[in-house]
Amino acid sequence: MKVRINPDQCVACTTCVVNCPVARVTPLFPGPRMIGPAYERFRLLDLAEDKSLTYCANCKNCDISCPQGVQVSNINMLARADQSKKYGSSLRDWVLAHGELQAKLLQIIPAGLKNWGMLNPLTRAVLDRFGIDKRAPLPAFAKRTFRQMLKKFKQPELPRKIVFFPGCFVDVYDPQTGMDMVWAFNRAGYEVISPDGFCCCGLPMIANGFWEDAKKRAKRNLTELAKWREQGIAAVTGCPSCALVFREDLPGYFPDLTDKIGHTRVEDAQDFLMDCLDRGELKLDEPEQPDLDIIYHAPCHLRAQGDGLPGLALLNELKGVNAKNADAGCCGISGSYGFKKEKYDIAQEIGAELFHRIKESPAKYGASECGTCRVQMQHGSGKEALHPVTILRARLEGKNLAERSNDESLTI
Amino acid sequence: MSRTTDVVVVGSGMAGLAAALAAVSRKCRVRVISEGAGALSISGGALDLLGYDNTGKLLENPWDGIGYLDANHPYTLAGVDNIKKALAAVADCLATQGLPVRHAKDANGAPRNFAMPTIMGTFKPTYYFQDDIDPELPNRARKILVISVKGFRDCKPALIINQLRRYPAWADREFQPFILPPPFNERGRSLNALDLAHAADREDGLKWLLNETRGIGANFDLALVPPFLGARANSPIRKQFAENLGCPALELLSIPPGVGGLRIRHALISHLRDLGVEFYENAKVKRGETRDGKCAGLTVNAAGRDVLHQAKSYVVATGGIFNGGTLLEPGKAREALFGIDIPVPENVEDWSEPEIFGQHLISRLGLKVDERLRACAKDGSAILDNVHFAGRTLGGYDYASEKSGFGVAAVTGWLAGNYAADNAGAAPTPDIGGDK
Repeated sequence: MKVRINPDQCVACTTCVVNCPVARVTPLFPGPRMIGPAYERFRLLDLAEDKSLTYCANCKNCDISCPQGVQVSNINMLARADQSKKYGSSLRDWVLAHGELQAKLLQIIPAGLKNWGMLNPLTRAVLDRFGIDKRAPLPAFAKRTFRQMLKKFKQPELPRKIVFFPGCFVDVYDPQTGMDMVWAFNRAGYEVISPDGFCCCGLPMIANGFWEDAKKRAKRNLTELAKWREQGIAAVTGCPSCALVFREDLPGYFPDLTDKIGHTRVEDAQDFLMDCLDRGELKLDEPEQPDLDIIYHAPCHLRAQGDGLPGLALLNELKGVNAKNADAGCCGISGSYGFKKEKYDIAQEIGAELFHRIKESPAKYGASECGTCRVQMQHGSGKEALHPVTILRARLEGKNLAERSNDESLTI
Repeated sequence: MSRTTDVVVVGSGMAGLAAALAAVSRKCRVRVISEGAGALSISGGALDLLGYDNTGKLLENPWDGIGYLDANHPYTLAGVDNIKKALAAVADCLATQGLPVRHAKDANGAPRNFAMPTIMGTFKPTYYFQDDIDPELPNRARKILVISVKGFRDCKPALIINQLRRYPAWADREFQPFILPPPFNERGRSLNALDLAHAADREDGLKWLLNETRGIGANFDLALVPPFLGARANSPIRKQFAENLGCPALELLSIPPGVGGLRIRHALISHLRDLGVEFYENAKVKRGETRDGKCAGLTVNAAGRDVLHQAKSYVVATGGIFNGGTLLEPGKAREALFGIDIPVPENVEDWSEPEIFGQHLISRLGLKVDERLRACAKDGSAILDNVHFAGRTLGGYDYASEKSGFGVAAVTGWLAGNYAADNAGAAPTPDIGGDK
């Protein structure tokens, strides 16, 4: 089933061009209006693709700013899928799109060895030749995946259940954030279920043109989600990009799947926790402790979902926490975009304003819901960036962020 | 989601942002819900008030024309005092964000419109402008440098000079075109004003700009330049540029992307965020829910899910026909969120006039409101007590022929925000809303 987005809704007003972070920093990208709706008319005539299509980062600022409701970035992703199908893709793009698969294949190798193997200067030089910039902040594998840790963790008996979609970043690289999420949901009275049936949400594949691979993931995830939906258990994720895929991309890109299997929405975990506050399920009775400044970055994929910034709101519900929105636009990383050799400098330039705001902020810590945004924030500013729920947990436990809880024992 | 707030503003164009500014200044909790970034972000950012009176005559002093407008013109509803307060509030906010705006004065100190030159070599009457120049300078400058950049197709000095010479007051001036080499070596898209402004915000770009223009204005009274002096609200480039150039510089108004509007938008949003205004972007308000003559909430589509947003009062600044605030079908017009009927002639041909620059009904088409900017029924009574309308949702004015678009948006937005604050129980200020 072929999905097409009508380009004629576009009135060529240039609002998307004004708000496009890539067009802002490089003349190599003609901007969303040209590559999206304008060029789509040539695509419909089967004319050759414009090379600059690969410069779209799929950050969705065009969609956020469009006054006419055109899904510009989706036009670009569909075109990229077509290109990939017709002409193939680079091995580099395949590797970046299939991080989940590599993590699985490398599962038997201890994390220390894997990280040494992947991150030593020699490997980085080889990867650099192969198109992954040697300066890019590749995240390190965790000792155990989040789901392995969760299996070892004994949750208390709780009246309610919730399904948690960890996303690859939390599952493979940052399981502690997942455990902080479990802590928060347990505290709100929810037992957390994170089924083995879940796989990558598919966004890295969509963004790199591997359409059929994304569709396979979609089918598997939707099938797993349907089981829980039938039992009336809600699903959430702490990752805004995964949420965006489930809420918008899957029904938009693969309507045949969502029609057949049914469409289960995966909601924003922070928004859900705010609802828990409203319902009185979650109580904020944090102990006396010093005030805490936080500099918060809103991921573009969160802003694209129309629910405001619930993670920021949650932080500011905490006594003594002053979380300030950096309000500096895109961080530049866009998943794997900023790792690519030809895009690394573009990504750093896009994020420069954000890095500047973080550095000049009195806050010692940054915060953002998105894993790769946090990687980029740390890389660009030198300050550690945490998930809002990690900060929530530390404050409720009355712990200094430097000495926050970790569930290290579950990784042995 | 059941979290409620004091005031919800729909729309983040000039009217919506001015409304949020007013309400948050009254200590209300404010949420702005928007779909799209609003026309302000692509505009030239010349804040007009009233360029032409209702007979089409160019106004030297906009305040002279305001008293003669129709009874249901938004300025008449607002009154001169409130117009002044609203403009001052917006200008103050911009100044705190490092974007001071000023207006021209005549010899007696009376305010007057400023004829802003454009990259088409025409003039647009505006009230507030961003340039740090003596507003009399364009009238008396004899030797004028017109600067552009190679590859910037929309800004050609030769065309600008030819066009300007058609105006009698400009015919005998001495003009000199000057084209800078482009700041980028790479092959890429053709340049626009925003590309150059973004370049100037970066260290290497600023170096390019200053190197290429150093001293070239020394023998000139004035330089006309594209709006490329930085895209940020608080750019220090403007002052640096003029000193380096050797003469005062005036930025021309550009077609979109016009840069100046983006600076204003950045300044307003940055100010509002500092004051704690919440922004819900990419959220489509589908409809208003009403109960007992009041709005009881807005149903908002957020990534495929319907969410109810509730507040004590609401400001609707959704724009006009083009932005979906007003919906049309043959023989019918209605407001988009509440479905309020806007009376129009049944025959669509009667909605416009044969004269293209004439006074078209469709240009003035919009809601009829009471003095508190609430939509009103035929008998003049308010339809919804806690919903205030602003900007292009309103009828009774023609921004294109009057050159009053941003002025009406800022004034009615600011007023609607104040009335919404009254409704939300904010402490009254002595001279606005409250007892009105």
